Amino acid sequence: MSLLDQIYAKAKLNPQRVAFPEAENEKMMQAAFETGQEGYIIPVLVGNVEKLKVLSEERGYDARVFEFVDIRDEEYKHTLIERYTALPDTRLKEKALARRMEDPLYYAMVMEAVDEAGVTFAGIDNTTGDVLLAGQMIIGLRPGISTISSIGLCDIPGFEGSEGSLLAIGDSAVCTNPNAEQLAAIAVSACDTVRELLDWEPRCAMISYSTLGSGQGELIDKVVQAVQLANELRPELAIDGEFQFDAAISPSVAEKKVARESRVAGKANVIIWPDLNVGNVGVKLIQQFGHADAYGPMLQGFNKVVCDCSRGAPVSEIKGNVVISAVRAAGNRKGESV
Amino acid sequence: MERKELEAKIIGLVATSYDVEESTLTAETSIKDDLGGASIQMVGLVSEIENELDVLVQLQTAAACNTIGELVDKVEEQL
Repeated sequence: MSLLDQIYAKAKLNPQRVAFPEAENEKMMQAAFETGQEGYIIPVLVGNVEKLKVLSEERGYDARVFEFVDIRDEEYKHTLIERYTALPDTRLKEKALARRMEDPLYYAMVMEAVDEAGVTFAGIDNTTGDVLLAGQMIIGLRPGISTISSIGLCDIPGFEGSEGSLLAIGDSAVCTNPNAEQLAAIAVSACDTVRELLDWEPRCAMISYSTLGSGQGELIDKVVQAVQLANELRPELAIDGEFQFDAAISPSVAEKKVARESRVAGKANVIIWPDLNVGNVGVKLIQQFGHADAYGPMLQGFNKVVCDCSRGAPVSEIKGNVVISAVRAAGNRKGESV
Repeated sequence: MERKELEAKIIGLVATSYDVEESTLTAETSIKDDLGGASIQMVGLVSEIENELDVLVQLQTAAACNTIGELVDKVEEQL
């Protein structure tokens, strides 16, 4: 069973309510309908309900698959605002929040913040910047996490790692030049993401051109400091380094290069690059030479799952990302209740 | 609102958002060089301006300001 098939099967076991603030968009409505009809999610269309219902009918969809939320429904909006402003550490006060909620993107995120939806799925009409800003303003970052980042999941034919052909890598897309504190945040967030999505026990390697002091210099110092900060922030997680890439994933190389106990060396399932130059080149190498399928980027670091799809994404890709997001949200909720 | 009053108010909001002593800030303080910080702090500042002054400054506009004084100009334009 492929990685996506596994995730799809998992989604069906616990379908999440996914808020779609851009459902007037044809591709987005189709993705919402199909994932809803196939039983992976409960699609909640947020916007002008009259218009959404007309569009749904014109496009030939059975409207019973959808739930509709009208952003002009003052009573429900008032309830959401009351519940949101009662949460700890929220940024916007009532008046500013009400104004922002005239935008369906913000409205949907408020629903997510107060658990009326598990995920907000957007990015087909809004820019990445719009989605990230709304996410930071409404959902906020997890405690101790100083930056948004991303991970991707690679399915690499012929790779025999500690999770078979799968390897999580980050950040290859969002945080360009992280300092040590931000790098630590990326590692911690990545561990949470793979646990939520795949139920992995994360073993996270922080990568450099040096293994445990075999090289010296400021580029290495940053990674060493990041490992220390990550371990201070979340001591229960297996985050280790600095390791060269081969020492992280190959047991035989780790045996030669890592002369101390490590829960990670040689069997890492999460790889954290030192910066975006390495991350972008790394993912391209894995794709071009490793012929890997790469899934993502999945945004991380937020208090709840925030998604941004590419504005040029086809319906099939949107559907995959919707389902991945829903499974992450279910995992996130499970973690909260532990 | 008088310019001086607005400036003082925004300096207060910058101090809260960036967690620095208000007394160390002036209109000439460089947001990027002197305060540094991540975009998350700028998001906090824009939110505070919305809450306290009822003015919506776009994040990109605020992020493009070199000094606190320039940010005061942008807010003043919206009042």
